[in-house]
Amino acid sequence: MKTLDSLVDKAFSRRNFIAGAGALAAATAVTGCGSSSTPAPNGYTDEDVLNFALNLEYLEAQFYLYAATGTGLASTDTSTPSGYTGSYTEGSVTLGDAAQVAGLTGAQQEILNEIAFEEQTHVLFLRTALGAAAVPMPNIDLSFFGPLAVAANITTSPTGSGSFNPFSSFDYFLVGAFIFEDVGVTAYSGAAPLISSAGVASGLLTAAAGILAVEAYHAGYVRTSLTGRAIAAGSASAYPYLGAANLVEALRASLTVGDSAAPSTPGSVETLLTLPTSTTSPSAIVAADPTTAVGFARTVNQVHHIVYGSPTVGVSSGGFFPNGTNSIFSKTTA
Amino acid sequence: MLTLSAASLAGLVIAGTAKSAKAATASYTDADILNFALNLEYLEANFYYAAAFGTTIDVANGASTAAGAPVITLSGTVGTAGSVSGGSKVPFQTIQVGSYATETAVEEGKHVATLLSALGSSAVAQPAINIGTAFQTLAAAANQLTPSGNIPSGFSPYANDDTFLIGAYIFEDVGVTAYHGAASLLTSSSNLSVAAGILGVEAYHAGLIRTTLNYLDPTGSLGLVGYTTSISNLRNALSQAGLLGVPPSSTSYDANPDDYGLATFSTPKPLGGAGSATATRIVDANPSNVVAFARNTTQVLNIVTGGGAVNGTTAVSPAKGVFFPNGMNAGPNGFK
Repeated sequence: MKTLDSLVDKAFSRRNFIAGAGALAAATAVTGCGSSSTPAPNGYTDEDVLNFALNLEYLEAQFYLYAATGTGLASTDTSTPSGYTGSYTEGSVTLGDAAQVAGLTGAQQEILNEIAFEEQTHVLFLRTALGAAAVPMPNIDLSFFGPLAVAANITTSPTGSGSFNPFSSFDYFLVGAFIFEDVGVTAYSGAAPLISSAGVASGLLTAAAGILAVEAYHAGYVRTSLTGRAIAAGSASAYPYLGAANLVEALRASLTVGDSAAPSTPGSVETLLTLPTSTTSPSAIVAADPTTAVGFARTVNQVHHIVYGSPTVGVSSGGFFPNGTNSIFSKTTA
Repeated sequence: MLTLSAASLAGLVIAGTAKSAKAATASYTDADILNFALNLEYLEANFYYAAAFGTTIDVANGASTAAGAPVITLSGTVGTAGSVSGGSKVPFQTIQVGSYATETAVEEGKHVATLLSALGSSAVAQPAINIGTAFQTLAAAANQLTPSGNIPSGFSPYANDDTFLIGAYIFEDVGVTAYHGAASLLTSSSNLSVAAGILGVEAYHAGLIRTTLNYLDPTGSLGLVGYTTSISNLRNALSQAGLLGVPPSSTSYDANPDDYGLATFSTPKPLGGAGSATATRIVDANPSNVVAFARNTTQVLNIVTGGGAVNGTTAVSPAKGVFFPNGMNAGPNGFK
């Protein structure tokens, strides 16, 4: 049988996936990984990989919780855990415009509640899995949406006045959520191969794959909503949020150092949204390779470039993480 | 065994309660696992090609060509080639659902092509596939399990936009759990990459279907939410029955499902410092940790064959019924 090497081009070698099936079994196994993790030859542990994911989940959970309720994570879910011996300290959230999204319908409110609950649960799941090794929440800057939108060339708000504010309406919120969700999918795909063989055997990789799927459900929700509402509006100009999301994609692509081709071109890890005009023209809900329809992955470094909003090599902070992630991977590389 | 009778359903109902998945006893190679996935992709792709284009995956027509859908050369030779029965083009009324069907058909076709290319001469042939009466069989079984859901008799996924979405719903979350479960059996790192990538795509599709049903029927008043509950309950019952070696311990078919329909969470969910609130269920995941579910091959086989994969606590091989009337095609190890 041929290998699939010619079909995928990943920056990291993949380790084997030998854990038993079953998410519950995986969850149980993960809980025990805290003290048995041993440094890999290249200097990071499974705890470091999980803590990288935890930084992203802190960011996502705070965004969705503020959007859904106007309040963030409970302090007990962001603090330094009992017995923590690391050097990272607990940060705070710079709110900017963060508030409960204005004008939500009942159905929209329940959707936001769901995503907020789920991202919050990912924080709790990872903190429980890591135990005393869990890093506290770093400083998070939710006012970065404005500068990010400017960097993406979203120079005016879709409604014609004011700056980009993902908390000002449901449609704005979708664009804000769009910034994160496809990135979450690719981040878990890219981080999974960093897990040690011991971590794989204990079910860690299965758990990561299960969270990857949840992030893809969320991404599917956001992309379906943007596409469906644009179709309902009838044109790109009548629903400028679709175009704004594609500008975000272009920015994400440019920040994916090493794979920074424009979206929907060869070598890119981004798929632009489309506006179907008939029942027979395809939408572009799924972000995947245009030849194989296999989903994308990003390296830990590429994800850092995106959340820092910077293609610069060697920076350790910026963007949504004004003092950097609480992670040994926090410094960007080429 | 080929249909899910009331008697066999009663067997299902008491079969599964515990949640610890017992690994299938078969030892699978990577080619086996990719071929298992290929069988599922043959099924999914043909369903979407029928719905979106009115053709099968190996025959181009104007609609499939216009959409850029691949024409699949049925190059797999392992096992017994079969034909596709049932299926017809859906008279889509909304751009949303029609365009989603078109996109999904193209992507599932590419998954077939990708797996065929990867497997080369090891690829299984396309088995006999039923995408017609299989839906009525499953709908009737779902109604027995969840009478309040009550999918209309004569249910056809090809009738209109709504029924198409329900038909797609039957497949997509299963695809997620199948790739999630299968990934853990792969030994080649590059194969794992592909499996993880397709897992993501199946979850995008599942999110798409569940989101669209939620938009159409946010309160459940149209009945679509009830149908998803019925289908998820059936998938759960069949999945639990596939956990071989788990003795029946309760007449209640399951207290801890591995599948959830689109009804909102039964209890308000905690939201940070803001108390609790009602939440939707776009994501099909374990509510305690919000990690998606995984299923082993027996569990997946039991779903897509409508209970054909198990007899009590014994695996039946080859499993057959419903969507796979002659069973899946497999290499020398078979599937169980």
